[in-house]
Amino acid sequence: MSENGTEPPRKLSRRALLRSAGVAAGSLAAGSALRGMPHSAQEKPAAELPSFTGPGANPHWNSVGPIVSEPQKAPLILLTDRPVQLETALNYFLDAFTPNEAFYVRWHLDRIPNAVDLKSWRLHVEGNVSSPQAFSMGDLLRKFRAETMAAANQCSGNSRSRLQPRVAGGQWGNGAMGNARWTGVKLRDLLNAAGMKSGSVQVQLQGLEQGEGPEGMGSSAFMKSLDLDNPVIDECLVAYAMNGEPLPMLNGFPVRLVVPGYFATYWMKCLTWIRVLDKADENFWMKTAYRIPDTPRGTTTPEAMKAGGVKTVPIGRMPVRSFLVSPDGSGKIPAGMSVTLRGIAFSGYGRVTKVEISDDEMKTWKAAQLGEDFGAYSFRTWDMTWTPKTAGKYAIAVRATDEKGNVQPDEGVWNPAGYLWNRIERQEMVVGAAE
Amino acid sequence: MKLRRLFAGLVVGTAVAGGVAVAQHQLGSYAAQNLGKVSQPAARELTDDSRYGVASYPTFEVGLAEGAGRAETQIYCGSCHTARYITMQPPLPAATWDAEVQKMVKTFGATIPEADAEKIAQYLHEHYTPETRKQ
Repeated sequence: MSENGTEPPRKLSRRALLRSAGVAAGSLAAGSALRGMPHSAQEKPAAELPSFTGPGANPHWNSVGPIVSEPQKAPLILLTDRPVQLETALNYFLDAFTPNEAFYVRWHLDRIPNAVDLKSWRLHVEGNVSSPQAFSMGDLLRKFRAETMAAANQCSGNSRSRLQPRVAGGQWGNGAMGNARWTGVKLRDLLNAAGMKSGSVQVQLQGLEQGEGPEGMGSSAFMKSLDLDNPVIDECLVAYAMNGEPLPMLNGFPVRLVVPGYFATYWMKCLTWIRVLDKADENFWMKTAYRIPDTPRGTTTPEAMKAGGVKTVPIGRMPVRSFLVSPDGSGKIPAGMSVTLRGIAFSGYGRVTKVEISDDEMKTWKAAQLGEDFGAYSFRTWDMTWTPKTAGKYAIAVRATDEKGNVQPDEGVWNPAGYLWNRIERQEMVVGAAE
Repeated sequence: MKLRRLFAGLVVGTAVAGGVAVAQHQLGSYAAQNLGKVSQPAARELTDDSRYGVASYPTFEVGLAEGAGRAETQIYCGSCHTARYITMQPPLPAATWDAEVQKMVKTFGATIPEADAEKIAQYLHEHYTPETRKQ
């Protein structure tokens, strides 16, 4: 938590080196004597990140919280502990699939499940249906055909801390995303088993999560709905496995909805009620929250919001994004050495068809090699060999294009809830002299 | 202790505390730091019944700024969520904090007496705006 206000470590160690240069011979013994002594003013430990960023944009790849260990999870970056919100660190994105234990966590309300008894838990399909159903886990495992699909899951507010001016909300860096192989049954098969009646317009999803607020308010229950005429309904899975394992409790055990290409707000965790509606859902989480300006890229301005009249629509598909994962810029690269730049790309509009890299302020772009194609909505890895010839500071920019022809732009977005960030990412890379 | 410090003072002219540097490289630089807070979780004993569960989710102390209104903020805001929702934010304008407090009351139904809601807003102004935020 502390902001200890130390100088950057790089600067310190260089100064330390300069100060002690030329006195090497006699200093060995003294050095050993000093080691392990209480720390003095001459040298400081590596600086900690501050506890918050702003009012400028967060300059770090991840958010700046402390690292914590939660049940079934690797140490992750804490945004909040009640309800639990955890961010995945950059290094976990080297692979196309994000390990379950490192997969980010985002809950809305504080009463989240610690345990589920599968003897009594049922997945209900109810509402405007001719024969309401209550499926046990056993039913899902044995009565329906299992399907597996790779799909990326990203929080609507991923990278919210990039926006200028900053907006209130979970101050995510880039790590509120992950990619997994999801196994489960088709949502359509469950709807068909219950028999939707005519006049059905939406399907509402509700999980076990509850809040302290009064009934009927957004603080009491989290519910999301999808239009039944949306083609994505036929692609949705009710997943009971994630990367070939049961879902971690914090990622939605026993089942979670997978809505390929769509932001995670629709991917209901601990899904327990599938409710067919005969009129549009007007609950807080549909009518007020998770809405974006009905403008190109969902962007607007604080002035336009203040003036009023900005039409909004529910958030939907994820715009194309790409990231450099390694090297992460924390170390220097000797001039003349070939290094492999590696990262990931994805789009909610379909396959990533191109990833390009620029090391000259985006004047020229070079195509990277794409990794294995795991499906239209999966992360796709990329790599490229990069040989910086001279020492200096480089900004490596990464830009992806998807099969619909969407290209990442170099302009940010702004909307009051901080959604849809997909600006081209840049990573500073320091190349050192290597005479 | 005094003697050791004196000794350190004597040698600091020739060597940097915590490390030995020669022209080509530097060796053995250590620096004392607080031990991090991530503890290793112990394995849980599992039973083969139908109950699937995990341990309690850990909660952590929130470093809310000292000052009038801190207790009200901790109690009322903390009744539904951790006060880390406040400290995690970037410095926000006073009007934004007012809107957040009003959102909790009107949109989310938080039962905060008006005088206390006012105290909370004032507390947020005094510690969490671009002009006032320190920690």
